[in-house]
Order: sequence, then structure tokens, then C-alpha cells
Amino acid sequence: MSEPVTSPEPAASPPDSTKTGPGRLLVAVYGLFALSASARAGVQIATKFSHAPVAYLLSAFAGVVYILATVTLSNGSPTARRIAVLSCSVELAGVLAVGTWSLADPAMFPDATVWSSYGSGYGFVPLVLPVFGLLWLSRWSRRARTRRTIVTSAEDAGEAADGDAAHGEGGAPGQGATDVVADGRT
Amino acid sequence: MSSVNGAVPTTIIVAGLLLAGYALLMTALNRRMNVPLLIAVGVLEILLLVQVGIVVAKLAGGQRPAGLPTLIGYLIATPIVPVAAAFWGLMERSRWGPAVIAVAGLVAAVLMVRLHQIWPVIHV
Repeated sequence: MSEPVTSPEPAASPPDSTKTGPGRLLVAVYGLFALSASARAGVQIATKFSHAPVAYLLSAFAGVVYILATVTLSNGSPTARRIAVLSCSVELAGVLAVGTWSLADPAMFPDATVWSSYGSGYGFVPLVLPVFGLLWLSRWSRRARTRRTIVTSAEDAGEAADGDAAHGEGGAPGQGATDVVADGRT
Repeated sequence: MSSVNGAVPTTIIVAGLLLAGYALLMTALNRRMNVPLLIAVGVLEILLLVQVGIVVAKLAGGQRPAGLPTLIGYLIATPIVPVAAAFWGLMERSRWGPAVIAVAGLVAAVLMVRLHQIWPVIHV
């Protein structure tokens, strides 16, 4: 689409890891949530656990999932990517389950968790984050399979992959999962 | 006195949102990290350090919030945010470097609101 910025450095290659390119942003936001969710849960459990035990334990669990996703996304090995897919899936299931639970049974949650009301206290980022995480991971798996054939310039590849991801989001949700499974066998 | 103190968090919120907007524009225009953006992050960092100093001065003056451990956590985490974002963004030689800076700007603004919630004597 837009004219690529001319880059003399070969360092601007297509993202060669889950932590580069858009992954750089993902890891940053995951790191932020890993820190804030686990630190907050730590303080709450240490100072007033009996006030809302379920909420605080769920916050701590969310913190662990965020830490796992941050570490595995920034590592990027095939094994780490499989764990990252698992983390993001658990996270998505968690925010949907806890979000529904917190609305259905508010008495259970006298204090909020990261995932309460689908993460509304955090600008719904907890709801959106795992979706982008899974999209990024599925797209990266696809790229890893065809990496040897990529000969286009850095920005061209980025643009093409952007369009690819957008297509995958709307058209074929199952495709990403297939890629992950295929990747898992290698 | 309180109006002077309130000016700093308000400035941080405005500066953080402006930084986020500028950085997102750079991402949209496919620009990489550059010196002006780093200088802007440096200005935000200085503002945050001033704010931490103001809160520490209040604590040293004998005032205590209800959630002291949380406040101390925020005081430690707040100055780290722009520094960590600058390092992480500089490692990225694409449009996604400024995107990381945009997150730091938004987080700085949110942190000021949260500081006020934790300890209402911190005016925003």
C-alpha cells in the first residue's frame, strides 16, 4: 500500500521471531499485564486475602498466564510458540468465563479481577489481547513454513502478511489452528 | 500548593496522550524510531520522576494513603515504564518501535489516574 521507507540496514528484515514486528507490541503489552496483574494479585493476597479470595486467586492465575505468554512470545521457539498458543487460548477462555461469571454472580466478586466484566476495568484490553496473540501466532506459523520462499523486501513482506492476517481473521478461522497443528509436528 | 502539585499529573496526562498520538501517527506512516521521539520519551520520564518526587515528599511529610503497598509499587513501576519502552522500541527497526512508545504514553496517563484513585491527595 504505502511507499516503503528505504532502509539501508539489512536488520530491517521481515519479522524473524514472534517478538519482532507486531510481536514487539504484543510482548510489550503482555509484559505490562504480566507485571500489573501479578503484582496487584500479590499485594491483594498478602494484605486482604479473605476479603475476596476467589477474585484474588483468579487475578493471580491471570498473572501467571500473562507471564507465560510474555516469556513464550519473546522466546519464539516452536515449543515456546505451542505454549504461547495454549496461554492465549486459556486467557481467552478465562476472560470469557470470568467475565460472564462476574456479571452472573457479582456477590462472588466483591473486588474486581483483571478479567471481571470481560476486562472492562482495563479498557477491554484483556479481551482483545489473546485474539491478537492467537492471530499473530497462527500467521507466524504460516510464515515459518514458507520462510525459505520469502525473497521480497522487508516492508513488502510486512504489508503482504498484514493483508494475509486480515483475510484470515474474517475468512478462515480454522486455518490458523491447522497451521499450529502442522507446525507442532515439525 | 495543591494546585501546583495537581499541575504535574495533569501535564503528564496531556504529555502522555500527545506522545501516544504522535507515536501512533509514526506507526501509521510506517516510520521507525527516531531522535525526536526519544527526546519526547525523555521529557515524559522527567515529568514522571518529578511526580514520584512529589509523592515521596508527601510520604516523607508523614501522610499515609490507605493502600501504601500499592502506592509504593506504583512509585517503583512508574519511572520504569518509559525507560523499558524506549529500550524495547529501539530494538525494533520497524514501525512497531513507535507503537511500543505509544503504549508507554497511554500507560503514563492511566498511571496518573490510578495514583489519584489510590491516594486522592494526589490531585489530577
